[in-house]
Amino acid sequence: MLDRPVESYDTVAAWESGLRTQWGGNPFAEDPVKLRTLVEFCEFVARDPDAVIAFCFLRKRATGERFQSKQRRDELLRRLKEFEIAGSSGIDARRRRSHVVSFLSHNGVLIY
Amino acid sequence: MEFAEVVGIRRSIRFFDPDRAVEREKIQKILEAMRLGSCAMNAHWLRAIVVYRDDLAPETFEALKLPVAGVVMELAPVHIYCYGDLSVIQNDHGKQPKLLIDMGALAPSHGWTHRFVDEFVWPMLLDPMSKSPQYPIAMAFDNGGCATQGLLMAYEEGLGACWTAFNIPVAKEAFGVPDHWVPHYVLNLGYPLESREAGGQRPRPPFEDLYFEGRVGNPFRRDEKVVEELKRRKMIQASAPFPNRQQELRDLARRLGLPE
Repeated sequence: MLDRPVESYDTVAAWESGLRTQWGGNPFAEDPVKLRTLVEFCEFVARDPDAVIAFCFLRKRATGERFQSKQRRDELLRRLKEFEIAGSSGIDARRRRSHVVSFLSHNGVLIY
Repeated sequence: MEFAEVVGIRRSIRFFDPDRAVEREKIQKILEAMRLGSCAMNAHWLRAIVVYRDDLAPETFEALKLPVAGVVMELAPVHIYCYGDLSVIQNDHGKQPKLLIDMGALAPSHGWTHRFVDEFVWPMLLDPMSKSPQYPIAMAFDNGGCATQGLLMAYEEGLGACWTAFNIPVAKEAFGVPDHWVPHYVLNLGYPLESREAGGQRPRPPFEDLYFEGRVGNPFRRDEKVVEELKRRKMIQASAPFPNRQQELRDLARRLGLPE
């Protein structure tokens, strides 16, 4: 579904940078499941990584100010729950969800 | 544990053992400590609702969580929702200060008599104060003190805790909260999964920037001998960051399947 390598998206670079700053090392090489899970999620919601993050933000009509939309976050949360249970169960399902949440939070979006 | 050490070891715990229940008697001890807190006019505004995470309907629990509090609430097996009851003063109508006089806590030496309560304290002080916009602020100050006694008791009992906000309308509906209760915070409670030090005491602003002597701008000078004594008594402990803290956080995240 992605039209180019997942690492080439700005939001994925931001994720990698955030992980590297927090934990050091080479996050995607050490744990390839992270990127694989993100790609699966992108396919699940039919959006590329940058579009997933962009989906969470809107601009105020009056001022043009960018803000995180609660409605959009709720929608993404609903899809994330579907994704979590679609692939596995128990701690594996939780880890699957956590990789996506990590991608979101290192891009400034937190949903729970 | 000595009081000074309890103060010293208290820090917000955000990683709890999600599967280890908290004994009911420990919860009661926390509430008992809250009940003994200092409050103006012996008013006791603080109300608390103990909620067991696993007893909540999943959809209610999901709705109670706010984004930054979600993981803490998920991991903590017990949540104590704290409120202030605004009706206390009007319902009491000056009875508590009279009780304090009868109990020997307030005395004529300080001007306290039943007549003084009837003629001055109730009509000139308590009644107008309880109708003033400042009233909830005064109540919240006292409730914070009472709740903190419960918080410290949790650490005395070997537990960890963390205050968070919560979804107020959802809690009101789910727990039958009356309209005259003002929401404060929820105390998330459980056995710590992280180390007791939890990365060290959190950095604080310089002492002299916070406290003054005689006049604002004249700092209360810190005596290093006192600091050394409090270090010996484990109230002042090693400050964050600890060198191994990031590894501890990562290990905890992986163990619990949380985001990194």
